[in-house]
Amino acid sequence: MIRITHQREKCIGCNLCVEVAKNRWRMSRKDGKSTLVGGVDKKGFFSVLVGDDEWKENKYAADHCPVKIIKMEQV
Amino acid sequence: MTKSNKVELMAPAGSFESMAAAIKAGADSIYFGIEQLNMRARSTNNFTIDDLPEIHEVCSKHNVKTYLTLNTILYDHDISLMKKIIVAVKESKIDAVIASDYAVFNQAKKEGVKIHISTQANVSNIDSIEFFSQFSDVVVLARELTLKQVESIVKEIKRRDLRGISGELMKVEIFAHGALCMAVSGKCYLSLHSNYASANRGACIQNCRKSYVVIDKEDGVELEIDNEYIMSAKDLCTIDFLDTVIDTGVKVLKIEGRGRSADYVHTTIQCYREAIDSIEDGTYSREKVALWKERLATVFNRGFWDGYYLGKTIGEWNNEYGSKATKKKIYVAKGLKYYDDAKAGEFRMESHSIALGDEVLIIGPTTGVIQTFVDELRLNNVTTDTVKKGDVFTLPLNEKLRPSDRLYKLVDAQ
Repeated sequence: MIRITHQREKCIGCNLCVEVAKNRWRMSRKDGKSTLVGGVDKKGFFSVLVGDDEWKENKYAADHCPVKIIKMEQV
Repeated sequence: MTKSNKVELMAPAGSFESMAAAIKAGADSIYFGIEQLNMRARSTNNFTIDDLPEIHEVCSKHNVKTYLTLNTILYDHDISLMKKIIVAVKESKIDAVIASDYAVFNQAKKEGVKIHISTQANVSNIDSIEFFSQFSDVVVLARELTLKQVESIVKEIKRRDLRGISGELMKVEIFAHGALCMAVSGKCYLSLHSNYASANRGACIQNCRKSYVVIDKEDGVELEIDNEYIMSAKDLCTIDFLDTVIDTGVKVLKIEGRGRSADYVHTTIQCYREAIDSIEDGTYSREKVALWKERLATVFNRGFWDGYYLGKTIGEWNNEYGSKATKKKIYVAKGLKYYDDAKAGEFRMESHSIALGDEVLIIGPTTGVIQTFVDELRLNNVTTDTVKKGDVFTLPLNEKLRPSDRLYKLVDAQ
């Protein structure tokens, strides 16, 4: 399993994660920030457990996020 | 009404510290960003939408105008936030929004919020100003124009009697000091291509400030280049020809640096305030310019050049990474309280030491910047020559000290 964590407050809404991992990320039209699909909020850090098959595209999003607010870990 | 009654001096404010420093140093106006839709979105020093009422309250007390930057490229998912910001600007009585996207022009017009056309729109000719006059009263010209081109635009505004939405003649604003892009502002995609970090979404990673080598991939031979920093422009500085700048008829001079510290804002605004005032009262001189340049060099800079304004030295490049500032500040103590009667501030030393004669800065969100020399130190109410880590001491201060203030020692950068 993989845990994806997103520090949503710091998102600048560049759209990169949505472009590269479109099944896991959505842009919110409410505040212009990206939203981690299935993410649960814990003090501003949204996290979700997903299958290993989602590693590649989300790792790409994490590595290339311009404000480095996406974390990936194997659990 | 500006303090100089002629040219408005606009300061960058990335934090409450910088804002207070700008006000104290004599700025006529400040500009600042909030949330993610501004050109310093990556900066940790951003205000939030909830800060707008306080920004207006503090600045209006000092007759300082406030402008909010909302000048990134906007996508569909940003529109709702943009509209929310425009409404907040209107409610909190911020004076104007600096914008480059047509969606912002449209929304601001609907809400009756004034806008300034950002340098991101690259306005470089009089017909563009005629176009933008239907939305705005102030246009920030492209930073790549020469002063002759600026002057010609200002004259033509008068000749054509181009009036903005308020009915006043269109005002021209230009950048007077600070960092320049290697590309035409707002047209650089280096950072996006290399790191997916769009400069035009405020996330520039500043590829141009790094050093590079050129290698022939076929045989691995490295080409010799005089300067590895082949893309890093020096910083713009106009203080030595500010009289010529003002003679063009521009109405607003903007200082770049929303990502810079409060002491940068303090020193830069002080120098330009003095320069503008001395041009008005006829005391502007080479001697004063030399002193201002010396002071400007003490804070962050990449070396100075005259940008594109004089049209003679195209491309002056920096030759090292980071700042050429001649001074640096070291955090030494935390502010504790102020004794009104004794006019002294009490501090607790947290690192290093301070001795009589040292130059120090006190920086805080309400205090702004106080720059002074240590001429008396008291430890346990007894005068002393030096204080070190752990000491609680007092320093004579004419201005109020607050618990949110921090004390820094200024030392030579080398």
